[in-house]
Amino acid sequence: NITRAVMSCGQFRNSKAASSPAENYHLARRRTLQVAVSALLTECGFESAEKAAVETLTEMMQSYITEIGRCAKAYCEHTARSIPTLPDTVVALIEMGFNVDTLPVYAKRSQRMVITAPPVTNSPVTPKALSAGQKRTHPAHIPSHFPEFPDPHTYIKTPIEPVHNPFLRDVERALTRFMAKTGETQSLFKDDITAFPLIAARPSTIPYLSALLPSELELQTLEETDSSEQDDQTDSENTTGNIINDDPGADKENSMLPPSGGVPSTKASEDNVIDNPYLRPVKKPKVRRKK
Amino acid sequence: MNRKKDKGFESPRPFKLTHQVVCINNINFQRKSVIGYVELTIFPTVVNLNRIKLNSKQCRIYRVRVNELEAPFIYNDPTLEVCHHESKQRNLNYFSSAYTAAVSAVDPDAGHGELVIKVPSELWKQGDDLKVLKVYIEFSLDQPKGGLHFVVPDVEGSMAERGAHVFSFGYQNSTRFWFPCVDSYSELCTWKLEFTVDASMVAVSCGDLVETIYTHDMRKKTFHYVLPIPTAAPNISLAVGPFEILVDPYMHEVTHFCLPQLLPLLKHSMSYLHEIFEFYEEILTCRYPYSCFKTVFVDEAYVQVSSYASMSIFSTNLLHSAMIIDQTPQTRRCLAQALAQQFFGCFISRMSWADEWVLKGISGYIYGLYLKKTFGVNEYRHWIKGELDKIVDYELKMGGVLLHPTFSGGKEKDNPTPHLHFSIKHPHTLSWEYYKMFQCKAHLVMRLIENRISMEFMLQVFNKLLSLASTASSQKYQSHMWSQMLLSTHAFLKSISNVSGKDIGPLIKQWVDQSGVVKFFGSFAFNRKRNVLELEIRQDYTSSGTQKYVGPIKVTVQELDGSFNHTLQIEENSLKHDIPCHSKSRRNKKKKIPLMNGEEVDMDLSAMDADSPLLWIRIDPDMSILRKVEFEQADFMWQYQLRYERDVVAQEEAISALEKFPTPASRLALTDILEQEQCFYKVRMQACFCLARIANAMVSTWQGPPAMKSLFTRMFCCKSCPNIVKTNNFINFQSYFLQKTMPVAMALLRDVQNLCPKDVLNFILDLIKYNDNRKNKFSDNYYRAELIEALTNSLTPAISINNEVRTVDNLNADVRLILEEITRFLNMEKLLPSFRNTITVSCLRAIRQLQKNGHIPSDPSLFKSYAQYGHFVDVRIAALEALVDYTRVERSATELQWLLVMVQNDPAHYVRHKILGMLCKNPPFTKTTDSALCNEALVDQLWKLMNSGTSHDWRLRCDAVNLYYTLFGLTRPSCLPLPELGLVLNLKEKKAVLNPTIKPELGVRIFTCPHSTQLRPAPPFNTMEDEDIDMETVHDSQAFIHHHLNLLERPSTPGKYSLQLWLFSGKEPPSVEQTMLTMPSTPAPSFSKETTSLSSKHSSEHSHHHHHHHHEHKKKKKKHKHKHKHKHKHESKDKEKERERDNSHVYSNSPASGRSLRSPSLSD
Repeated sequence: NITRAVMSCGQFRNSKAASSPAENYHLARRRTLQVAVSALLTECGFESAEKAAVETLTEMMQSYITEIGRCAKAYCEHTARSIPTLPDTVVALIEMGFNVDTLPVYAKRSQRMVITAPPVTNSPVTPKALSAGQKRTHPAHIPSHFPEFPDPHTYIKTPIEPVHNPFLRDVERALTRFMAKTGETQSLFKDDITAFPLIAARPSTIPYLSALLPSELELQTLEETDSSEQDDQTDSENTTGNIINDDPGADKENSMLPPSGGVPSTKASEDNVIDNPYLRPVKKPKVRRKK
Repeated sequence: MNRKKDKGFESPRPFKLTHQVVCINNINFQRKSVIGYVELTIFPTVVNLNRIKLNSKQCRIYRVRVNELEAPFIYNDPTLEVCHHESKQRNLNYFSSAYTAAVSAVDPDAGHGELVIKVPSELWKQGDDLKVLKVYIEFSLDQPKGGLHFVVPDVEGSMAERGAHVFSFGYQNSTRFWFPCVDSYSELCTWKLEFTVDASMVAVSCGDLVETIYTHDMRKKTFHYVLPIPTAAPNISLAVGPFEILVDPYMHEVTHFCLPQLLPLLKHSMSYLHEIFEFYEEILTCRYPYSCFKTVFVDEAYVQVSSYASMSIFSTNLLHSAMIIDQTPQTRRCLAQALAQQFFGCFISRMSWADEWVLKGISGYIYGLYLKKTFGVNEYRHWIKGELDKIVDYELKMGGVLLHPTFSGGKEKDNPTPHLHFSIKHPHTLSWEYYKMFQCKAHLVMRLIENRISMEFMLQVFNKLLSLASTASSQKYQSHMWSQMLLSTHAFLKSISNVSGKDIGPLIKQWVDQSGVVKFFGSFAFNRKRNVLELEIRQDYTSSGTQKYVGPIKVTVQELDGSFNHTLQIEENSLKHDIPCHSKSRRNKKKKIPLMNGEEVDMDLSAMDADSPLLWIRIDPDMSILRKVEFEQADFMWQYQLRYERDVVAQEEAISALEKFPTPASRLALTDILEQEQCFYKVRMQACFCLARIANAMVSTWQGPPAMKSLFTRMFCCKSCPNIVKTNNFINFQSYFLQKTMPVAMALLRDVQNLCPKDVLNFILDLIKYNDNRKNKFSDNYYRAELIEALTNSLTPAISINNEVRTVDNLNADVRLILEEITRFLNMEKLLPSFRNTITVSCLRAIRQLQKNGHIPSDPSLFKSYAQYGHFVDVRIAALEALVDYTRVERSATELQWLLVMVQNDPAHYVRHKILGMLCKNPPFTKTTDSALCNEALVDQLWKLMNSGTSHDWRLRCDAVNLYYTLFGLTRPSCLPLPELGLVLNLKEKKAVLNPTIKPELGVRIFTCPHSTQLRPAPPFNTMEDEDIDMETVHDSQAFIHHHLNLLERPSTPGKYSLQLWLFSGKEPPSVEQTMLTMPSTPAPSFSKETTSLSSKHSSEHSHHHHHHHHEHKKKKKKHKHKHKHKHKHESKDKEKERERDNSHVYSNSPASGRSLRSPSLSD
């Protein structure tokens, strides 16, 4: 235990040099814990303690608290919840051999020392999950205060990383053969229809889309080879009424009309608006037109 | 149609249109129908305007009101069925003249129209003060076959979600297909256009969008457009769809529209449009004439580009992403063409069809200037050479293309283009190919004018025309200035002479008023004693499509001392021209040789003739004559020309000439050019193919590796492992194009057994195997497609033993490898489709080639499945091309039928047009060959197709005519039985004789004797009122037939039966005034005067759909002084009409159908 405490001390000292917000937070917590240990020692009648001893006790205390938390969390998750409740903690304490009934008395003891709150309170900023792709905007029937859609890759499709594969051609051939075997095929020979199976040609309803839009793979290649060039994601499936105008230089205002087209967007009223008749709001009908 | 000396414009109509409202208040995508109305504001220009002729096709007209008064109308479209369906005539001469007559009968440029409205008599008296009339017409269109095209994908969801859209289209003046109008380019007016569409859709049309208003139920919105610039109806268009909208970031007045999901492509493709705008505005020193511009990209477009007032409609297939190389210049060209036509064609319109060449010429010319600026002088000269070659080849093959036809009186002998199987009197009778060549020639002639008067003056002329038009456009109608916006040949030439002070009369006479190109043959000898080059230039001006040239010609001679220009005069009888040389043949070894551009180069002169100082000679190097030159000079001269002449045209000429000289020296010259990076890439590409041919010719003596292989390896393969190609990097476009082309050319190499060398095939297979595009910024789809083409080129006919059936087992090992690749490519394309499915296209071609060469069984089923509607259009065309080829090779009646059915039923107009075009290019049989496919049923089917099946699409009808001509020729198809009996009616001598010699092949007016039902009574008419309409005014041909029937009354052979009369025009000298006439085999019956007049009347009613326009009829009329005299002048006719009207005319006021009751379509 002592060696562990020393080691942890060493780590502690080492990490002092670093000063990321998360580490600062840990430092502050540790210091608070140390104060608590010292207070307990004072309570017990110690007048002084070696630094190493305090450190060791702090380490033990931290381990104990961590274990309570871990254990409580495990119980909580065991019952398919995500946030531990008081009973979870109680069960954890019992499991660790602690007599819970003594706790209220101990808590209300007279010689208890009060420690000031730790100076640093801001919790560490969890780094944002890397967002990939463009999140979908809410369709008209979902109110805007509802949570945003998650990244498209989590529930639509995950972009694939082209892997350099020396056997790519073999893979391709195997894949196409598989496709050909599982689906309808056409054949060039009458005697052996399995010889050069061709996946059957199937007409599509909107043939120009697949013929004109670059494939996902190609788009990715483009992004990799030229990251400076901003290109648009093609999977931004705009609702048909959407009106979007180009904005390469950022000096022009992008204005967007909602799909329903009824209300001009707030943006449009800003300066530098492009005056184009197709971006103007649609007028309400006049109340009375000659009948 | 003549070039008038006065520049004023005379309207053929007794009124002037000033304003038109088009309101389409319902567009139903489900039913594909449209409902709306138009209101035309017209000023009568004669007193007592009593009838108004408008154009309208396929519209159902519900009511017509003139100034709030219900007005009777008749609707008669003679082009629906050109020759009456009961006619047994099947010769094309007959059809062509009937078709021309039908088109003339409703030609707005002659003041005619399909819709004749009678002005209510209450309004006649207004005539004196010539008050404004407002003509209001309610109409609808149900499943239009032409004019408007609906694209409605068959998927789930609302119309907007499905990407359903509709747009107007057509060839030349085709606006009458979707709303009633004066469908002429010379009738200008201002416009108000309103379109009510679903709220999720956008309606894009001409002019300024003033406002968009919701309907009361908020489910629809109405787009209000105003076009204050006087515009002709054919320049009005509409596109409605759930378009994504992109405001041009550089020019906010410009808005782009594309179909859903294509916005990223639209952004990229439109990112350079502003440069084109800037270019045109700068050279023309004139603002873009309209206040806004819209581009709309639609699916299933009729043509790639069509321009209308302030908007252009493009094919959506022009859109591309930044990864695509090959499509980029093509799309830019299309945009530049569209914009050029905005100035000349839309804003400035033509005065008459005969002036079309000026507008097409100017727009093509300024487009050429754009090409020169954007793509460089080399590209421009290459393009000009290509265009010149195209027109020369076409004219030499098909006969002359006449830019400015003049028609005097419509007489047969004055037909300016007797060599053609169609009339060039109307745009709607022209073959599409001819029209394309016409446009090509027009811009080349503009360039000739530029050569003559300088570009500066040329641009000044354009600026002048535009400023005149621009001033006129802002004026009110009352100022009578609008005709300034119409351009005629005369006004154009006058402007040129005013600006430049030069007389370009001879040039115009040579190239514009006359058809044909010049064919030169040149050869030379060097006279050492006199130090003179004796040049001989001969001409062939007797072959079809040629003309004689007299005038200056430039000859450039490259000598040791430099390059010298000489201007020779081509005269009637002088063939030889002596050109003194500057250099002595003794050459100074050390001296550099100065070139035309001032550059001085070292040359290895060892190849040349020691006695002659001549390096090479060029005839007409600037292409300032529309000519073909066949020039003879020694091989080393061509080689010098290729290596050292800096003009790309000269280099290309040298390459073509070197094909005839398969020598190591030619090989070296070509290889050197291939390697020279400064050399224009298209020249290098051409050199590849020439090198392949030379290598094949030299196969027995060829040394070293196959041609181009080591070069390709050096340029594109890894240093360490020469059979592996480097990772693709197409950043240098010149080498990209070369990398694409070289394998294709290499695959054409053949060894002594006439097979593709094994190492070439393996090399290409390796290129495919090691192709790696992962690090490339650009897509490699075109490159891979070319590699497949290379595989295709490597194929040679299979060695067939006893015509055995092709099976997998007896597949050649090399072919097996090729087939393996093609299968993999084609299957991968299903998973990862390439841009425009170029891979599939190449694979289909390869498979057809494998079939044709007997490696795999010849089978059309695969192509049929790819040809179906629902595949990308390029794929369909490739599959159809294979099917057309299959049809010819296998003489398959089934496939021919299958194709013809598709011509009639396919939803995509472009595909129908292409099928007929491909059948003409690769016909299953021709008029000179015999084939089992040629039978009566096919004749009838094609006849029906061109006669009535294609009335909704001018272009398609002309395509059908072309095919008929290709298959059967001008006269009676040879597979039809000979006519049994015929009667010759000699109109001159008023005698009917039994046909002495039936020689159908001569194109004599022959008459197949029809069955006896010919003598049927006049068809019953439900409404007798209808019958009494003055038919003369309906259209010319009727009057004409009527007239001839009356002629028949006069001869002394009266009878009691009505005679059905067929009149047609042939090409014989006019003295043979014979017309054959059907007769029952009974002796000639006698007429009684009374019955004849009655029956002839019926007959005329009945046969008024025949519209045979006899070119002689005018002459005849004068002789016989018939009261139904038909003249083109209105004044003389009006009185007559008045008289007739008094006793006979009650107009049909039936609101039921827009079609005339006698419309042939109902009788079908």
